[in-house]
Amino acid sequence: MLNMKTGTVLLIGALALTLGGCATQVKRVGVEQVKDLSGDWNDTDSRLVSEEMIRDSMSRPWIDNHEKKSNKAPAVIVGNVRNLSHEHINTRTFIADLERAFVNSGRVEVVASKAEREGIRAERADMDLNASEASRKEMGNETGADYMLIGTINSIIDATEGEQIRFYQVDLTLVSIADNRKVWTGQKKLKKDIKEAKFR
Amino acid sequence: MGKSKMSVVKAGVLRGLSGLCALAAVAALPGCATYSANFAQVESSAANRDLDKAVKTLDALNLTGPDETLHHLNKGVLLRLQGSYAESNKHLEAAKRLMERLNAISVTEQVASVTVNDTMKAYEGLPSEQLMVYSFKALNYLQMGDVDAAAVEARQFDVKQKLIAARNKDADYLSGAFVRYLNAMVFEVVGERDAARIELEKAAAGYKAQGSEFSVPSGVRDDLSRIRAGKPVASEVVFILHNGLGASVDEDNIRVANPMAGKSGPLMFSLAVPKFVRRSLPVHHVVLSSASVSSDSEVVENVNGIAEKSFNDRLASIIARGVLRLGVKNAAAQEAKRQMQDNPYSALLNFAADVATNVSERADTRTWSLLPGNIQMARLPLPAGRHDVTATYYGAHGNILASREFKGVEVAPARKTFVADYFLNPPAAAKAAN
Repeated sequence: MLNMKTGTVLLIGALALTLGGCATQVKRVGVEQVKDLSGDWNDTDSRLVSEEMIRDSMSRPWIDNHEKKSNKAPAVIVGNVRNLSHEHINTRTFIADLERAFVNSGRVEVVASKAEREGIRAERADMDLNASEASRKEMGNETGADYMLIGTINSIIDATEGEQIRFYQVDLTLVSIADNRKVWTGQKKLKKDIKEAKFR
Repeated sequence: MGKSKMSVVKAGVLRGLSGLCALAAVAALPGCATYSANFAQVESSAANRDLDKAVKTLDALNLTGPDETLHHLNKGVLLRLQGSYAESNKHLEAAKRLMERLNAISVTEQVASVTVNDTMKAYEGLPSEQLMVYSFKALNYLQMGDVDAAAVEARQFDVKQKLIAARNKDADYLSGAFVRYLNAMVFEVVGERDAARIELEKAAAGYKAQGSEFSVPSGVRDDLSRIRAGKPVASEVVFILHNGLGASVDEDNIRVANPMAGKSGPLMFSLAVPKFVRRSLPVHHVVLSSASVSSDSEVVENVNGIAEKSFNDRLASIIARGVLRLGVKNAAAQEAKRQMQDNPYSALLNFAADVATNVSERADTRTWSLLPGNIQMARLPLPAGRHDVTATYYGAHGNILASREFKGVEVAPARKTFVADYFLNPPAAAKAAN
């Protein structure tokens, strides 16, 4: 027969186990680890797109062509990347990756976008009043972009009871602001076969 | 009293207590107070335009577990009526995801539904309700000015509607005609005129397929003619009214024959089944006006009518499952009585078994009752600029029920500006009017 002390220990142990099961568990995982939960667009899709777009855009002749013609690095501004897919997709993740690759390569300059400029201009206007003459930055010295990055995400879904094929196509284009020429187009296609659980 | 007699009494009392505990457990099962009865206060506050109170009352109902979808659906509507569109969409998205997950079968829930009652199953929504989620989400995005996000909902709807139509082959009323009409507007605004035309064609066919109770709104016909003729979209205010409350589901009892009559149990059973209750619609039509121009509303979605058809289509399977359930319960009760026949408290325990069987027999009265009874749309073409717009609500006898002003409505060139309001009857009045 269990004595009282043993019983108390067992009770506390059981309680601790029960409460332990209720606590939220967090585990750090590598950002490259592929983990698909719902089948929706996720970090892996975004990473695959950015890897492809960076590789493709940096290896095409548009940069050399621009440098030969104007003797300086091309300046790019990020325009609108429209989500025309079946999901609410955050396009800023892979666009930010592409921007970073451009800037860090030293071969492509990136200028602030329309929304970012507002804050910078407000700061410059504030400097006019409050900063010392030596450190003040004048208006009218912004770098104008040579190219605008625009794009779309499209998707096609073929669904039947319990299974879906989802196809995504991401298209990015660099358009010359001076004359509307498309100097680079990148494309990434992704396809997923999603089988839904029959039982839960 | 001898020791052995004492132990017999003690055992009998213990068994009696355990029987009463079982009874108490059954009585405490969710669904013992019907959902519609609990929900009346939320509806009442919403009808009185006290949306803060309605939200608080809804939260206090603590709809979790099998009722979690209902919490998100109803909260999504209340937050939408409050103008908290982003928050509303969070709840509607949560409901949408739950509905997707609940497509899969839960064996435990299925067993519980044929042994206790249908409220043990997680609420996944009528097919018509599943379709309506997309329209509310799209409207929220439109009212936030995010047409691209509204278009995402429109594309998702197309996939979902096809799946639902395939699952319910004879249910023409699940065409999602209104949502397609709305989606056509969305697609045209985002520059997808072909998609808009296709949506309008499907909307027109859907309205026709819904039967004589519905007619194709003139807006659908006009838009279709205009797009086919290659004419551009005009700037306009599109006004949406959530008119009245959606259906309520009450509990009804029907008598069904015991398939095991003569072998065990009574000749007839009392089976609790849900009963669809249409509620009256306060607004007959809306006149939308600004300065010297005005436009009348049209009914673009007969929510009650579609819900009733959807409900009636499920009723046969609800009754069949109920009859099976009563058979299972009766067999269990008879077996329990047989085992307890030597117990000195058998009369009390038999009574407890009968009460437990009856108390646990409750109809599933859950429904997304904060859906409107119908949706009306008025479209007022206006030049680009800021306009004061008035919506006047008329009753069935031409009497003015209320009038609401929307100051400084911004209309952009070749764009649609969406404005919405609601008009609900208090629940008691809504039922009394029927």
